[in-house]
Amino acid sequence: MQIAEPGQSKVKEACKQRVVGIDLGTTNSLVAHVADASPEVIGGSRAPGVGTPTASPAGRGSSPVGSTSDEGGPLVPSVVHYAADGVLIGRPAQARAADAPRDTIASVKRLIGRGLKDLGGVRAMLPYELEGDDRAVRILLTSGRLVSPVEVSAEILRELRARAEAALGGPIEGAVITVPAYFDDAQRQATRDAGRIAGLEVMRLLAEPTAAALAYGLDRGSTGTYAVFDLGGGTFDISILKLVDGVFEVKATGGDSAFGGDDLDRALARSMIGDALEAAERRTIGGAVAEARRVKEALSDLAVDRVAFALEAPRPELVCGDGDGVTHRVLVVGHDAVTTICDRRLAGRAADVAAAATPVTCVRCLGNGSVFRRSVTRAHLAGVVRPMLDRHTRKACLRALKDAELGKADLDGVILVGGSTRSPVVRDYVRELFEREPLCDLDPEQVVALGAAVQADVLAGGQHNVTLLDVVPLSLGIEMMGGVVEKLIHRNTTIPTGATQVFTTYADNQTGFDIHVVQGERETADACRSLARFVLRGVPPMMAGMGRVEITFLIDADGLLKVMAKELTTGKEASIVVKPSYGLTDEEVERMLLESFEHA
Amino acid sequence: MANPSSSDRAPAAAPARPDDPFALLGLTPSYDVDLAALERAFFERSKAAHPDRVAAAPAAERVAALSRSRALNDAYQLIKKPVSRAEYLLERAGVTIGANERLDPAFLMEILELREELAEARVAGNVARVEQLQRAMQARRADALGALSGLFAAGDHAAIKHRLIVLRYIHRYLEECDAALDEE
Repeated sequence: MQIAEPGQSKVKEACKQRVVGIDLGTTNSLVAHVADASPEVIGGSRAPGVGTPTASPAGRGSSPVGSTSDEGGPLVPSVVHYAADGVLIGRPAQARAADAPRDTIASVKRLIGRGLKDLGGVRAMLPYELEGDDRAVRILLTSGRLVSPVEVSAEILRELRARAEAALGGPIEGAVITVPAYFDDAQRQATRDAGRIAGLEVMRLLAEPTAAALAYGLDRGSTGTYAVFDLGGGTFDISILKLVDGVFEVKATGGDSAFGGDDLDRALARSMIGDALEAAERRTIGGAVAEARRVKEALSDLAVDRVAFALEAPRPELVCGDGDGVTHRVLVVGHDAVTTICDRRLAGRAADVAAAATPVTCVRCLGNGSVFRRSVTRAHLAGVVRPMLDRHTRKACLRALKDAELGKADLDGVILVGGSTRSPVVRDYVRELFEREPLCDLDPEQVVALGAAVQADVLAGGQHNVTLLDVVPLSLGIEMMGGVVEKLIHRNTTIPTGATQVFTTYADNQTGFDIHVVQGERETADACRSLARFVLRGVPPMMAGMGRVEITFLIDADGLLKVMAKELTTGKEASIVVKPSYGLTDEEVERMLLESFEHA
Repeated sequence: MANPSSSDRAPAAAPARPDDPFALLGLTPSYDVDLAALERAFFERSKAAHPDRVAAAPAAERVAALSRSRALNDAYQLIKKPVSRAEYLLERAGVTIGANERLDPAFLMEILELREELAEARVAGNVARVEQLQRAMQARRADALGALSGLFAAGDHAAIKHRLIVLRYIHRYLEECDAALDEE
C-alpha cells in the first residue's frame, strides 16, 4: 500500500542538518551520513559501501581528513593509546598495543556501563589493568591515572566526529549512535554520556541489528520478515523485523551482550596453547589472542583451509627436561616471536607434552636453529567455534522467533551483520540454524553505520519514507516484597508504550512506599539490573493491604523510562525519569565534558 | 495519561471509550479480527503518528505525537493478542473479571497438580518432561482460544468469562514453563 504524503517526499537540502550515524563497535568504529537520500560511509580511500563516494562537495576519497588516523579505509579500530604527551586513536593506537599494552585500550565496549562482577572471564583477557567495584570499572594506566570506559569511548567518538566534520565541512549537529540491542539501560546511559563528552548531540541510541535492517531495507526496497544475526567483537544480537512500505517493525530482539568474536579468538588461542593462556602475563595473552584472530581471519578466505606458522626460535637456548612437572607450551605472539612459559610450573602436565600428537613444545626446548611449526585447520576452528555459538546464540535465536510468534519458515531472509560473521564457520552455523542461506550482500562491517545515518536523517527531518517501530529489549518491572520482580512492561513491547498497575501496602501503618525499578528477565530483583530507586512518602497510616499505590511506567520513542507512583486514597504522587547510574556521577560527567572543551 | 491497557478498568457498559483501541485503528470491534488488516491499519497510522517524524518540531507537537503513538502501540498490542482482545470486548460489554474469581474446584485441583509436576520436573532438571507439560498446556490454550470465537458469536458472556479465567491460569503456567526452560 502506498500512502501519499503531499509535500514531504522531497528532501529540502537547504535546511538539512549536518547529522551522522555512528557505529561504535567493540573492534572497529565508523561514521556515515546520508547524501542525496542514500547513506554512505565517511573517510578512508576505500569506500565499498552502498553509496558512491563521489557525490559530496567535501573532498573525500583521498584521506583529506585532518586527523591522525585516516588511513586504511573508513574503519577506525576502537583502540585508544594514552601516551605521556597525548592520546592516539585508531590505527596509530593499535600500533602501540604490543609495546605498551597497559596504556593501549581495546575492546572498551565490553566494559562500558559495567561493574567488575558483570565482567567475569572478560577481565582476564584484557591486557590492561582494571580497578573498580560492582557498579563501575576504571582502567589503571601505567602513569597511575585512572580512566573510565566512558572517557575512552568518548575519545573514539571524538575522532569519528573530527573525521565527519572534516569530510562534511562543518560542525556535526547531531548523531545517532548504535548500541547492541541487548545493551541494558546502564550501558546505554554510559554510551549516551560518552557521546556528550565527545561533543555530540546524541539524537538517539539505535539498536545495531535494527540499523542494519534499515540499511538493507532501503537498499533493496524489501518487504518481508527478516532475522538479523549480528555477531560483533564483544556482543551478540538477534532481531526479527518486518518491513512493509517504509515501516520497519521490530518484532523481537534478544542476544548476549557479553559474547562476541573476542570470545571466539580467546577460545581458539586456548585450544592452540592450552593452559598457558591462564598462566601467561597479560601482555602475552593479548598477543596470543591477536594471533588467534589472525588465524581465524585467514581462515575466512574459503581458498584457505589451513593456516600454518613457521616460527623460528628467536633465542635458541638449551633444551630443558620435561620430567619434573614442568609444562612446555608455546605462546605464539605475532608472526616472528615466540615466548615460552616453560619456567612456570603447572602440575601434572608433563605427560601431555610427551604424548601430544601435534607439536606442543616451548622455545627453550627447540634445538639450535629449530623451527616451531603448528597449523590450524578450518575444521579445528569449527570444532572450537561451533560449541560456543551453540551455547551463546542458539537459544536467543529460537526465543526471538518464539517471541515474534514465527517459525523459521516464515522468514524471508537472514541478514548477517558484524565482523565476526565473515567467518565461514559462523556462516555455516547460521545456515544450519535457520535452514537457509544467509544474506551478506551489504558489507557486514558497514551496514550498521549506514542504517544509523538513515535514522539520523529521519530524526533531522530529512527522510519521510522510513518509520521505525522499535521495542524494549528487556522487561521492566518493580521489586515486590520478598525480592520477586513484577514486570510491568515485557520485553519486545513496541515503543513508545506505557503500563499501569496497582499495588498494595504490605505492612501496617506503612507511610512510605519504596519503588525499586529493575530490568531483565529473571524472576528475582537481585538477578536483574537495578535501574533506579525512589520513595513515595506521605502515605497515611493504614492496615497492610489497604494502601493502594498505582505505578505507571512510560517509555518514549528514545527508550527513556519515566516511572510515576500515586497513592490512590490521598492522591500523593512521586515520579522520576529513570537515568540509570553506572558508576559515574553527573558531576564527573560534567567535569569530563568541560575537559573536552579544553581539548577541542 | 490515557492508557488502554490499564488494569484499572471501569465496569461501565459504555459503547466505546474515547480511547477505544478498535476506534483508534479504524476497526469494527469484534473478536474475529483480520490480523493482516489490523497490521495494515497499525502501520498506516504509525507512519503518520510516530514521534520520530516530528523530532525536530516544537515540544507540543512532539508530546502529542508521543501520546498518539503510544496509544496506537498499546491498541495494536491489545487487539493482536486474543486474550487481551477478548478481555477488552467483554469489559466493553459490561462484564469485568476480578482478581479473585471463583472457578470450578476440579479445575483448580488439576492445575495445582500440574504445577506440582512442573515444579518437580524443574527441580530435577528434566527438560523433556517440562517440554511435555508445556506442549500439553499449549494444546489446552489453543482449545480455550478456539472456543472463544463461537462464544462471542453466541454472546455467551458467562462462558467467555469462564474461559478467560481459565486462560489466566494457563498463561501463568506457561510462563513458569518458559522460566524453567530459560534456566537450562
